[in-house]
Amino acid sequence: MFGRNGKKGNYAYTVARVKAKKSLLMNEEDYSKMLMMTVPEISRYISETGYGKEMTDLAGRMSGIGLLEHATYFNMAKVFGSILTSSTGELYDMVSAYLDKWDVWNLKVILRGKSYGLDAEGIREDLVPAGSLGAESLDKLISLDTDDDIIAEFGRMTHVNFPADVLAAYKASGNLGEIEDFLDKNHYERLTESIDPSSRPSRLFLDYIGEEIDMKNFETILKLKAEGIYGEQVMKYVIPGGRRIDGRQLTLLANAESTESVLSDASQFEFYEGIRDALESGNLRDAVSGLRKYEIQKAKKFSHLYPLSVIPVIDYMIHKENEVRNIRMIARGTESGLDRETIKELLVI
Amino acid sequence: MGSQDITPNRSVLLDLKKRIKLSQSGYKIMKMKRDGLIIEFFEVLEKARKMREGVSSDYDTAMEKITIARAVEGEIAVKSAAYALKTEPEVKLGSKSIMGMMVPKVEATSIHTKMVDKGYGVIETSVYIEEAAMAFEKLLDTLVRAAEVETTMKKLLDEIEKTKRRVNALEFKIIPELKESERFVKFRLEEMERENTTRLKHLKRKGEAAE
Repeated sequence: MFGRNGKKGNYAYTVARVKAKKSLLMNEEDYSKMLMMTVPEISRYISETGYGKEMTDLAGRMSGIGLLEHATYFNMAKVFGSILTSSTGELYDMVSAYLDKWDVWNLKVILRGKSYGLDAEGIREDLVPAGSLGAESLDKLISLDTDDDIIAEFGRMTHVNFPADVLAAYKASGNLGEIEDFLDKNHYERLTESIDPSSRPSRLFLDYIGEEIDMKNFETILKLKAEGIYGEQVMKYVIPGGRRIDGRQLTLLANAESTESVLSDASQFEFYEGIRDALESGNLRDAVSGLRKYEIQKAKKFSHLYPLSVIPVIDYMIHKENEVRNIRMIARGTESGLDRETIKELLVI
Repeated sequence: MGSQDITPNRSVLLDLKKRIKLSQSGYKIMKMKRDGLIIEFFEVLEKARKMREGVSSDYDTAMEKITIARAVEGEIAVKSAAYALKTEPEVKLGSKSIMGMMVPKVEATSIHTKMVDKGYGVIETSVYIEEAAMAFEKLLDTLVRAAEVETTMKKLLDEIEKTKRRVNALEFKIIPELKESERFVKFRLEEMERENTTRLKHLKRKGEAAE
Protein backbone atom coordinates (compact mmCIF):
# COMPACT_ATOMS: atom_id res chain seq x y z
CA MET A 1 0.00 0.00 0.00
CA PHE A 2 2.72 2.45 0.96
CA GLY A 3 5.79 0.62 -0.26
CA ARG A 4 8.67 2.30 -2.00
CA ASN A 5 9.34 -1.08 -3.54
CA GLY A 6 8.30 -4.63 -2.97
CA LYS A 7 11.57 -5.59 -1.30
CA LYS A 8 12.10 -6.81 2.21
CA GLY A 9 13.70 -3.71 3.60
CA ASN A 10 17.10 -2.56 4.86
CA TYR A 11 16.78 -3.91 8.39
CA ALA A 12 20.50 -4.11 9.19
CA TYR A 13 21.20 -0.48 8.26
CA THR A 14 18.12 1.02 9.93
CA VAL A 15 18.43 -1.10 13.06
CA ALA A 16 22.11 -0.12 13.41
CA ARG A 17 21.15 3.56 13.21
CA VAL A 18 18.29 3.10 15.64
CA LYS A 19 20.50 1.21 18.13
CA ALA A 20 22.95 4.11 18.10
CA LYS A 21 20.11 6.53 18.75
CA LYS A 22 18.62 4.36 21.48
CA SER A 23 21.83 4.53 23.47
CA LEU A 24 21.29 8.31 23.69
CA LEU A 25 17.81 8.02 25.19
CA MET A 26 17.40 9.16 28.75
CA ASN A 27 17.21 6.67 31.55
CA GLU A 28 15.70 6.61 35.01
CA GLU A 29 18.74 8.36 36.46
CA ASP A 30 18.34 11.29 34.05
CA TYR A 31 14.68 11.67 35.01
CA SER A 32 15.59 11.57 38.72
CA LYS A 33 18.15 14.33 38.12
CA MET A 34 15.66 16.43 36.19
CA LEU A 35 13.09 16.07 38.95
CA MET A 36 15.44 18.05 41.19
CA MET A 37 15.93 20.87 38.65
CA THR A 38 14.16 24.10 37.78
CA VAL A 39 12.73 24.65 34.27
CA PRO A 40 15.79 26.63 32.99
CA GLU A 41 18.05 23.90 34.38
CA ILE A 42 15.96 21.22 32.64
CA SER A 43 16.20 23.21 29.39
CA ARG A 44 19.96 23.41 29.72
CA TYR A 45 20.20 19.72 30.64
CA ILE A 46 18.22 18.53 27.62
CA SER A 47 20.18 20.93 25.39
CA GLU A 48 23.26 18.99 26.39
CA THR A 49 21.61 15.60 25.80
CA GLY A 50 20.52 15.76 22.18
CA TYR A 51 17.91 18.52 22.01
CA GLY A 52 20.42 21.39 21.67
CA LYS A 53 19.86 22.18 17.98
CA GLU A 54 16.08 22.47 18.27
CA MET A 55 16.36 24.51 21.46
CA THR A 56 18.70 26.95 19.69
CA ASP A 57 16.60 27.08 16.50
CA LEU A 58 13.39 27.91 18.35
CA ALA A 59 14.91 30.14 21.03
CA GLY A 60 14.35 33.25 18.89
CA ARG A 61 10.60 32.70 18.75
CA MET A 62 9.81 30.98 22.03
CA SER A 63 10.97 30.82 25.60
CA GLY A 64 10.53 28.89 28.82
CA ILE A 65 8.34 25.85 28.94
CA GLY A 66 6.84 26.52 25.49
CA LEU A 67 10.31 26.39 23.94
CA LEU A 68 11.06 23.14 25.73
CA GLU A 69 7.81 21.50 24.62
CA HIS A 70 8.14 22.55 20.99
CA ALA A 71 11.85 21.70 20.84
CA THR A 72 11.29 18.16 22.15
CA TYR A 73 8.46 17.63 19.65
CA PHE A 74 10.57 18.97 16.79
CA ASN A 75 13.50 16.79 17.78
CA MET A 76 11.22 13.75 17.82
CA ALA A 77 9.79 14.71 14.43
CA LYS A 78 13.30 15.08 12.99
CA VAL A 79 14.44 11.73 14.37
CA PHE A 80 11.34 9.92 13.11
CA GLY A 81 11.74 11.61 9.73
CA SER A 82 15.30 10.39 9.45
CA ILE A 83 14.29 6.81 10.36
CA LEU A 84 11.54 6.92 7.77
CA THR A 85 13.78 8.24 5.00
CA SER A 86 16.53 5.74 5.75
CA SER A 87 14.23 2.70 5.69
CA THR A 88 13.13 0.91 2.55
CA GLY A 89 10.78 -1.83 1.39
CA GLU A 90 8.38 -3.44 3.82
CA LEU A 91 10.21 -1.81 6.73
CA TYR A 92 9.34 1.58 5.26
CA ASP A 93 5.71 0.48 4.91
CA MET A 94 5.47 -0.50 8.55
CA VAL A 95 7.32 2.52 9.94
CA SER A 96 5.30 4.84 7.73
CA ALA A 97 2.02 3.22 8.81
CA TYR A 98 3.08 3.47 12.46
CA LEU A 99 3.91 7.18 12.05
CA ASP A 100 0.64 7.93 10.28
CA LYS A 101 -0.81 8.75 13.68
CA TRP A 102 1.18 12.00 13.59
CA ASP A 103 -0.42 12.92 10.25
CA VAL A 104 -3.79 12.34 11.87
CA TRP A 105 -2.69 14.45 14.86
CA ASN A 106 -1.67 17.27 12.52
CA LEU A 107 -4.93 17.12 10.59
CA LYS A 108 -6.80 17.36 13.88
CA VAL A 109 -4.72 20.41 14.89
CA ILE A 110 -5.43 22.06 11.51
CA LEU A 111 -9.18 21.35 11.54
CA ARG A 112 -9.59 22.39 15.16
CA GLY A 113 -7.49 25.52 14.68
CA LYS A 114 -9.47 26.49 11.56
CA SER A 115 -12.82 25.90 13.26
CA TYR A 116 -11.67 28.14 16.11
CA GLY A 117 -10.47 30.82 13.71
CA LEU A 118 -6.73 30.62 14.32
CA ASP A 119 -4.47 32.15 11.70
CA ALA A 120 -2.04 30.06 9.66
CA GLU A 121 0.93 30.94 11.87
CA GLY A 122 -0.94 29.93 15.02
CA ILE A 123 -1.83 26.56 13.54
CA ARG A 124 1.65 25.97 12.08
CA GLU A 125 3.22 26.51 15.49
CA ASP A 126 1.31 23.57 16.96
CA LEU A 127 2.10 21.05 14.23
CA VAL A 128 4.43 18.12 14.84
CA PRO A 129 5.60 16.93 11.43
CA ALA A 130 6.63 13.48 12.68
CA GLY A 131 4.54 11.53 10.17
CA SER A 132 4.78 10.95 6.44
CA LEU A 133 3.48 14.42 5.58
CA GLY A 134 6.23 17.00 5.56
CA ALA A 135 6.03 20.70 6.34
CA GLU A 136 5.14 21.55 2.71
CA SER A 137 2.15 19.22 2.62
CA LEU A 138 0.96 20.49 5.97
CA ASP A 139 1.32 24.08 4.75
CA LYS A 140 -0.81 23.21 1.75
CA LEU A 141 -3.52 21.85 4.07
CA ILE A 142 -3.39 25.01 6.20
CA SER A 143 -3.71 27.22 3.14
CA LEU A 144 -7.02 25.61 2.14
CA ASP A 145 -10.14 27.53 3.06
CA THR A 146 -12.83 25.04 3.96
CA ASP A 147 -12.94 21.90 6.10
CA ASP A 148 -14.21 19.95 3.10
CA ASP A 149 -11.18 20.95 1.03
CA ILE A 150 -8.78 20.10 3.85
CA ILE A 151 -10.37 16.69 4.44
CA ALA A 152 -10.43 15.92 0.71
CA GLU A 153 -6.80 16.99 0.23
CA PHE A 154 -5.68 15.01 3.27
CA GLY A 155 -7.49 11.98 1.83
CA ARG A 156 -5.60 12.46 -1.46
CA MET A 157 -2.24 12.88 0.26
CA THR A 158 -2.56 9.88 2.58
CA HIS A 159 -4.83 7.68 0.44
CA VAL A 160 -7.56 7.66 3.07
CA ASN A 161 -11.09 7.27 1.79
CA PHE A 162 -13.53 9.03 4.05
CA PRO A 163 -16.80 7.08 4.06
CA ALA A 164 -19.86 9.06 2.98
CA ASP A 165 -21.70 8.33 6.26
CA VAL A 166 -18.83 9.79 8.32
CA LEU A 167 -18.75 12.94 6.18
CA ALA A 168 -22.55 13.19 6.32
CA ALA A 169 -22.52 12.83 10.13
CA TYR A 170 -19.86 15.56 10.35
CA LYS A 171 -21.85 17.83 8.05
CA ALA A 172 -25.04 17.28 10.02
CA SER A 173 -23.60 17.82 13.49
CA GLY A 174 -20.51 19.95 12.83
CA ASN A 175 -18.81 17.69 15.38
CA LEU A 176 -15.18 17.13 14.35
CA GLY A 177 -15.19 14.08 16.61
CA GLU A 178 -16.86 12.12 13.79
CA ILE A 179 -13.87 12.69 11.50
CA GLU A 180 -11.30 12.28 14.27
CA ASP A 181 -12.67 8.95 15.52
CA PHE A 182 -12.85 7.61 11.98
CA LEU A 183 -9.22 8.60 11.38
CA ASP A 184 -8.05 7.01 14.63
CA LYS A 185 -9.79 3.73 13.79
CA ASN A 186 -8.55 3.92 10.23
CA HIS A 187 -4.96 4.41 11.43
CA TYR A 188 -5.00 1.09 13.31
CA GLU A 189 -6.75 -0.65 10.42
CA ARG A 190 -4.07 0.51 7.96
CA LEU A 191 -1.29 -0.22 10.41
CA THR A 192 -2.40 -3.84 10.92
CA GLU A 193 -2.87 -4.20 7.16
CA SER A 194 0.68 -2.98 6.53
CA ILE A 195 2.20 -5.72 8.68
CA ASP A 196 2.90 -8.95 6.84
CA PRO A 197 2.31 -11.67 9.46
CA SER A 198 4.43 -14.25 7.65
CA SER A 199 7.54 -13.70 9.79
CA ARG A 200 7.82 -14.15 13.55
CA PRO A 201 9.01 -10.56 14.28
CA SER A 202 6.19 -9.09 12.20
CA ARG A 203 3.71 -11.25 14.07
CA LEU A 204 5.17 -9.97 17.34
CA PHE A 205 4.71 -6.41 16.10
CA LEU A 206 1.15 -7.24 15.07
CA ASP A 207 0.51 -8.67 18.53
CA TYR A 208 1.90 -5.53 20.11
CA ILE A 209 -0.39 -3.34 18.02
CA GLY A 210 -3.29 -5.68 18.89
CA GLU A 211 -2.56 -5.15 22.58
CA GLU A 212 -2.32 -1.40 22.04
CA ILE A 213 -5.79 -1.55 20.44
CA ASP A 214 -7.05 -3.56 23.44
CA MET A 215 -5.81 -0.91 25.82
CA LYS A 216 -7.19 1.93 23.71
CA ASN A 217 -10.58 0.20 23.66
CA PHE A 218 -10.47 -0.45 27.38
CA GLU A 219 -9.57 3.21 28.01
CA THR A 220 -12.41 4.38 25.73
CA ILE A 221 -14.90 2.15 27.59
CA LEU A 222 -13.72 3.52 30.95
CA LYS A 223 -13.87 7.14 29.71
CA LEU A 224 -17.41 6.76 28.42
CA LYS A 225 -18.57 4.78 31.44
CA ALA A 226 -17.39 7.63 33.68
CA GLU A 227 -19.89 9.82 31.79
CA GLY A 228 -22.69 7.27 32.11
CA ILE A 229 -22.50 6.15 28.49
CA TYR A 230 -22.70 2.43 27.88
CA GLY A 231 -24.03 -0.20 25.51
CA GLU A 232 -24.34 0.29 21.78
CA GLN A 233 -23.16 3.91 21.95
CA VAL A 234 -19.79 2.73 23.31
CA MET A 235 -19.34 0.11 20.60
CA LYS A 236 -19.30 2.91 18.01
CA TYR A 237 -15.90 3.99 19.36
CA VAL A 238 -14.35 0.55 19.59
CA ILE A 239 -11.35 -0.10 17.33
CA PRO A 240 -11.53 -3.51 15.63
CA GLY A 241 -8.45 -5.75 15.66
CA GLY A 242 -7.67 -6.13 19.35
CA ARG A 243 -5.56 -9.07 20.40
CA ARG A 244 -6.93 -10.33 23.70
CA ILE A 245 -10.26 -8.57 24.11
CA ASP A 246 -12.64 -10.08 21.56
CA GLY A 247 -16.00 -8.76 20.39
CA ARG A 248 -17.97 -10.66 23.04
CA GLN A 249 -15.82 -9.34 25.87
CA LEU A 250 -15.96 -5.83 24.45
CA THR A 251 -19.77 -6.00 24.39
CA LEU A 252 -19.77 -7.25 27.99
CA LEU A 253 -17.50 -4.38 29.06
CA ALA A 254 -19.47 -1.84 27.07
CA ASN A 255 -22.76 -3.01 28.58
CA ALA A 256 -21.52 -2.83 32.18
CA GLU A 257 -23.40 0.10 33.68
CA SER A 258 -20.62 1.44 35.90
CA THR A 259 -16.83 1.43 36.29
CA GLU A 260 -17.21 -0.91 39.29
CA SER A 261 -19.06 -3.48 37.25
CA VAL A 262 -16.19 -3.49 34.74
CA LEU A 263 -13.94 -4.89 37.49
CA SER A 264 -15.12 -8.50 37.32
CA ASP A 265 -15.09 -8.56 33.53
CA ALA A 266 -11.62 -7.01 33.36
CA SER A 267 -9.99 -9.38 35.84
CA GLN A 268 -9.11 -11.85 33.10
CA PHE A 269 -6.88 -9.41 31.22
CA GLU A 270 -3.11 -9.39 31.57
CA PHE A 271 -2.95 -5.67 32.34
CA TYR A 272 -5.57 -5.96 35.09
CA GLU A 273 -3.10 -6.36 37.98
CA GLY A 274 -1.44 -3.02 37.18
CA ILE A 275 -4.71 -1.10 37.25
CA ARG A 276 -6.79 -3.04 39.78
CA ASP A 277 -6.29 -0.58 42.66
CA ALA A 278 -7.10 2.38 40.43
CA LEU A 279 -10.24 0.68 39.12
CA GLU A 280 -11.38 -0.29 42.60
CA SER A 281 -11.01 3.28 43.83
CA GLY A 282 -12.63 4.60 40.65
CA ASN A 283 -9.52 6.62 39.75
CA LEU A 284 -9.60 6.78 35.98
CA ARG A 285 -6.38 8.76 35.69
CA ASP A 286 -4.36 6.18 37.58
CA ALA A 287 -5.97 3.39 35.57
CA VAL A 288 -4.88 5.03 32.32
CA SER A 289 -1.42 5.71 33.71
CA GLY A 290 -1.24 2.01 34.68
CA LEU A 291 -2.19 1.02 31.12
CA ARG A 292 0.58 3.23 29.68
CA LYS A 293 3.14 1.75 32.04
CA TYR A 294 2.03 -1.75 31.07
CA GLU A 295 2.35 -0.81 27.39
CA ILE A 296 5.92 0.44 27.76
CA GLN A 297 6.90 -2.64 29.78
CA LYS A 298 5.46 -4.79 27.02
CA ALA A 299 7.54 -2.93 24.42
CA LYS A 300 10.67 -3.35 26.56
CA LYS A 301 10.09 -7.10 26.79
CA PHE A 302 10.06 -7.80 23.08
CA SER A 303 12.60 -5.18 21.98
CA HIS A 304 15.66 -7.42 22.13
CA LEU A 305 14.06 -10.58 20.73
CA TYR A 306 14.66 -10.10 17.00
CA PRO A 307 17.61 -7.74 16.42
CA LEU A 308 17.19 -7.59 12.65
CA SER A 309 13.52 -6.85 12.35
CA VAL A 310 11.02 -4.01 12.61
CA ILE A 311 10.80 -4.55 16.36
CA PRO A 312 13.92 -2.59 17.47
CA VAL A 313 12.82 0.28 15.21
CA ILE A 314 9.30 0.44 16.64
CA ASP A 315 10.66 -0.08 20.14
CA TYR A 316 12.93 2.94 19.69
CA MET A 317 10.07 5.11 18.43
CA ILE A 318 7.87 4.11 21.36
CA HIS A 319 10.66 4.98 23.78
CA LYS A 320 11.45 8.25 22.03
CA GLU A 321 7.79 9.32 22.25
CA ASN A 322 7.85 8.31 25.88
CA GLU A 323 11.03 10.30 26.53
CA VAL A 324 9.49 13.44 25.03
CA ARG A 325 6.37 12.90 27.15
CA ASN A 326 8.43 12.36 30.32
CA ILE A 327 10.59 15.47 29.79
CA ARG A 328 7.46 17.54 29.23
CA MET A 329 5.78 16.08 32.31
CA ILE A 330 8.75 16.90 34.54
CA ALA A 331 9.14 20.44 33.14
CA ARG A 332 5.43 21.31 33.18
CA GLY A 333 4.93 19.66 36.55
CA THR A 334 7.88 21.57 38.02
CA GLU A 335 6.71 24.85 36.49
CA SER A 336 3.16 24.39 37.84
CA GLY A 337 4.38 23.51 41.30
CA LEU A 338 3.19 19.88 41.29
CA ASP A 339 4.92 17.94 44.03
CA ARG A 340 7.68 15.53 43.03
CA GLU A 341 5.78 12.43 44.09
CA THR A 342 2.86 13.31 41.79
CA ILE A 343 5.21 13.95 38.87
CA LYS A 344 7.02 10.68 39.59
CA GLU A 345 3.73 8.78 39.52
CA LEU A 346 2.84 10.34 36.19
CA LEU A 347 6.16 9.38 34.60
CA VAL A 348 6.19 6.25 32.47
CA ILE A 349 9.62 4.68 32.96
CA MET B 1 -43.24 69.26 59.83
CA GLY B 2 -43.06 71.60 62.75
CA SER B 3 -46.06 71.57 65.06
CA GLN B 4 -46.14 75.35 64.91
CA ASP B 5 -47.06 75.24 61.18
CA ILE B 6 -50.25 73.29 61.87
CA THR B 7 -53.61 74.88 62.10
CA PRO B 8 -55.10 73.43 65.24
CA ASN B 9 -58.59 72.36 64.46
CA ARG B 10 -60.61 69.17 64.77
CA SER B 11 -60.21 68.03 61.18
CA VAL B 12 -56.42 68.36 61.46
CA LEU B 13 -56.51 66.37 64.69
CA LEU B 14 -58.54 63.64 63.00
CA ASP B 15 -56.15 63.66 60.09
CA LEU B 16 -53.18 63.46 62.43
CA LYS B 17 -54.73 60.55 64.29
CA LYS B 18 -55.28 58.75 61.00
CA ARG B 19 -51.67 59.41 59.95
CA ILE B 20 -50.31 58.24 63.27
CA LYS B 21 -52.29 55.02 63.01
CA LEU B 22 -51.08 54.50 59.46
CA SER B 23 -47.48 55.26 60.39
CA GLN B 24 -47.62 52.90 63.34
CA SER B 25 -49.01 50.07 61.26
CA GLY B 26 -46.44 50.89 58.55
CA TYR B 27 -43.73 50.86 61.19
CA LYS B 28 -44.90 47.45 62.42
CA ILE B 29 -44.92 46.04 58.88
CA MET B 30 -41.53 47.56 58.05
CA LYS B 31 -40.07 46.16 61.24
CA MET B 32 -41.45 42.74 60.39
CA LYS B 33 -40.03 43.07 56.87
CA ARG B 34 -36.64 44.08 58.24
CA ASP B 35 -36.61 41.12 60.63
CA GLY B 36 -37.75 38.80 57.83
CA LEU B 37 -35.04 40.13 55.52
CA ILE B 38 -32.43 39.65 58.23
CA ILE B 39 -33.49 36.02 58.73
CA GLU B 40 -33.45 35.53 54.95
CA PHE B 41 -30.02 37.23 54.79
CA PHE B 42 -28.50 34.86 57.32
CA GLU B 43 -29.84 31.90 55.35
CA VAL B 44 -28.38 33.30 52.13
CA LEU B 45 -25.14 34.17 53.95
CA GLU B 46 -24.72 30.54 54.99
CA LYS B 47 -25.43 29.46 51.41
CA ALA B 48 -22.93 32.01 50.08
CA ARG B 49 -20.29 30.83 52.54
CA LYS B 50 -20.73 27.22 51.39
CA MET B 51 -20.79 28.39 47.78
CA ARG B 52 -17.50 30.28 48.22
CA GLU B 53 -15.93 27.19 49.71
CA GLY B 54 -17.33 25.21 46.75
CA VAL B 55 -15.90 27.71 44.25
CA SER B 56 -12.56 27.62 45.98
CA SER B 57 -12.34 23.81 46.10
CA ASP B 58 -13.69 23.41 42.54
CA TYR B 59 -11.13 25.96 41.32
CA ASP B 60 -8.30 24.09 43.06
CA THR B 61 -9.46 20.78 41.57
CA ALA B 62 -9.85 22.26 38.09
CA MET B 63 -6.41 23.88 38.22
CA GLU B 64 -4.82 20.67 39.45
CA LYS B 65 -6.45 18.69 36.66
CA ILE B 66 -5.53 21.14 33.92
CA THR B 67 -1.95 21.25 35.24
CA ILE B 68 -1.74 17.46 35.08
CA ALA B 69 -3.38 17.43 31.63
CA ARG B 70 -0.87 20.02 30.36
CA ALA B 71 1.98 18.05 31.87
CA VAL B 72 0.95 14.64 30.56
CA GLU B 73 -0.53 15.57 27.19
CA GLY B 74 1.27 18.83 26.54
CA GLU B 75 0.08 22.37 26.02
CA ILE B 76 -0.48 21.78 22.30
CA ALA B 77 -2.89 18.87 22.85
CA VAL B 78 -4.82 20.72 25.57
CA LYS B 79 -5.07 23.89 23.47
CA SER B 80 -6.08 21.93 20.42
CA ALA B 81 -8.85 20.12 22.34
CA ALA B 82 -10.11 23.48 23.60
CA TYR B 83 -10.24 24.82 20.02
CA ALA B 84 -12.42 21.88 19.02
CA LEU B 85 -15.19 22.64 21.51
CA LYS B 86 -18.46 23.34 19.79
CA THR B 87 -20.86 24.19 22.59
CA GLU B 88 -20.76 27.45 24.46
CA PRO B 89 -22.40 27.84 27.83
CA GLU B 90 -25.44 30.11 27.89
CA VAL B 91 -26.54 32.11 30.89
CA LYS B 92 -30.22 33.03 31.30
CA LEU B 93 -31.10 35.87 33.62
CA GLY B 94 -34.49 35.89 35.31
CA SER B 95 -35.82 37.23 38.60
CA LYS B 96 -37.66 36.00 41.65
CA SER B 97 -39.23 37.79 44.59
CA ILE B 98 -38.07 37.58 48.19
CA MET B 99 -40.47 39.53 50.47
CA GLY B 100 -41.42 41.81 47.64
CA MET B 101 -37.82 42.39 46.60
CA MET B 102 -36.74 41.26 43.15
CA VAL B 103 -33.52 39.21 43.12
CA PRO B 104 -31.81 37.76 40.07
CA LYS B 105 -32.24 34.14 39.09
CA VAL B 106 -29.28 32.94 37.03
CA GLU B 107 -29.62 29.75 35.06
CA ALA B 108 -26.90 28.29 32.91
CA THR B 109 -27.50 25.86 30.10
CA SER B 110 -25.12 23.75 28.00
CA ILE B 111 -22.45 23.77 30.69
CA HIS B 112 -22.15 20.01 30.91
CA THR B 113 -21.57 18.40 27.56
CA LYS B 114 -21.02 14.69 27.13
CA MET B 115 -17.65 13.72 25.74
CA VAL B 116 -19.25 12.41 22.55
CA ASP B 117 -20.81 15.83 21.84
CA LYS B 118 -17.88 18.04 22.78
CA GLY B 119 -16.44 18.36 19.30
CA TYR B 120 -13.29 16.28 19.62
CA GLY B 121 -12.70 12.61 19.05
CA VAL B 122 -13.40 10.16 21.85
CA ILE B 123 -10.74 7.57 21.03
CA GLU B 124 -7.58 9.66 21.20
CA THR B 125 -8.62 12.43 23.56
CA SER B 126 -6.96 11.52 26.79
CA VAL B 127 -8.71 10.99 30.05
CA TYR B 128 -6.53 13.75 31.55
CA ILE B 129 -7.96 16.34 29.15
CA GLU B 130 -11.50 15.06 29.61
CA GLU B 131 -11.19 15.14 33.40
CA ALA B 132 -9.87 18.72 33.23
CA ALA B 133 -12.77 19.71 30.95
CA MET B 134 -15.27 18.15 33.36
CA ALA B 135 -13.64 19.88 36.34
CA PHE B 136 -13.91 23.27 34.58
CA GLU B 137 -17.54 22.58 33.67
CA LYS B 138 -18.24 21.89 37.34
CA LEU B 139 -16.39 25.08 38.33
CA LEU B 140 -18.44 27.12 35.85
CA ASP B 141 -21.65 25.60 37.17
CA THR B 142 -20.67 26.47 40.76
CA LEU B 143 -19.63 29.99 39.68
CA VAL B 144 -23.00 30.64 38.03
CA ARG B 145 -24.85 29.45 41.14
CA ALA B 146 -22.49 31.46 43.34
CA ALA B 147 -23.14 34.56 41.22
CA GLU B 148 -26.88 34.20 41.91
CA VAL B 149 -26.39 33.76 45.66
CA GLU B 150 -23.82 36.57 45.95
CA THR B 151 -26.03 39.03 44.05
CA THR B 152 -29.04 38.01 46.14
CA MET B 153 -26.96 38.58 49.27
CA LYS B 154 -25.87 42.05 48.12
CA LYS B 155 -29.43 42.99 47.15
CA LEU B 156 -30.70 41.73 50.51
CA LEU B 157 -28.09 43.83 52.31
CA ASP B 158 -29.15 46.95 50.37
CA GLU B 159 -32.80 46.22 51.06
CA ILE B 160 -32.15 45.62 54.78
CA GLU B 161 -30.27 48.91 54.95
CA LYS B 162 -33.10 50.73 53.18
CA THR B 163 -35.77 49.14 55.37
CA LYS B 164 -33.73 49.86 58.49
CA ARG B 165 -33.54 53.53 57.52
CA ARG B 166 -37.30 53.62 56.93
CA VAL B 167 -38.02 51.89 60.26
CA ASN B 168 -35.72 54.30 62.08
CA ALA B 169 -37.28 57.28 60.33
CA LEU B 170 -40.74 56.11 61.33
CA GLU B 171 -39.70 55.23 64.87
CA PHE B 172 -37.55 58.24 65.70
CA LYS B 173 -38.81 61.00 63.42
CA ILE B 174 -42.16 60.64 61.71
CA ILE B 175 -44.18 59.03 64.50
CA PRO B 176 -42.76 61.25 67.31
CA GLU B 177 -43.32 64.37 65.17
CA LEU B 178 -46.87 63.34 64.37
CA LYS B 179 -47.48 62.60 68.04
CA GLU B 180 -45.99 65.98 68.95
CA SER B 181 -48.28 67.66 66.42
CA GLU B 182 -51.25 65.71 67.77
CA ARG B 183 -50.33 66.72 71.33
CA PHE B 184 -49.98 70.36 70.17
CA VAL B 185 -53.31 70.34 68.33
CA LYS B 186 -55.03 68.63 71.26
CA PHE B 187 -53.52 71.16 73.65
CA ARG B 188 -54.53 74.07 71.44
CA LEU B 189 -58.05 72.69 71.03
CA GLU B 190 -58.39 72.26 74.79
CA GLU B 191 -56.98 75.74 75.26
CA MET B 192 -59.50 77.10 72.76
CA GLU B 193 -62.23 75.13 74.54
CA ARG B 194 -61.22 76.68 77.83
CA GLU B 195 -61.01 80.17 76.27
CA ASN B 196 -64.44 79.64 74.79
CA THR B 197 -65.91 78.53 78.11
CA THR B 198 -64.33 81.51 79.87
CA ARG B 199 -65.62 83.85 77.14
CA LEU B 200 -69.10 82.39 77.42
CA LYS B 201 -69.01 82.69 81.22
CA HIS B 202 -67.81 86.31 80.88
CA LEU B 203 -70.59 87.11 78.41
CA LYS B 204 -73.13 85.41 80.63
CA ARG B 205 -71.91 87.44 83.61
CA LYS B 206 -72.04 90.64 81.52
CA GLY B 207 -75.60 89.83 80.42
CA GLU B 208 -76.74 89.12 83.91
CA ALA B 209 -75.17 92.43 85.09
CA ALA B 210 -76.96 94.34 82.32
CA GLU B 211 -80.31 92.85 83.33
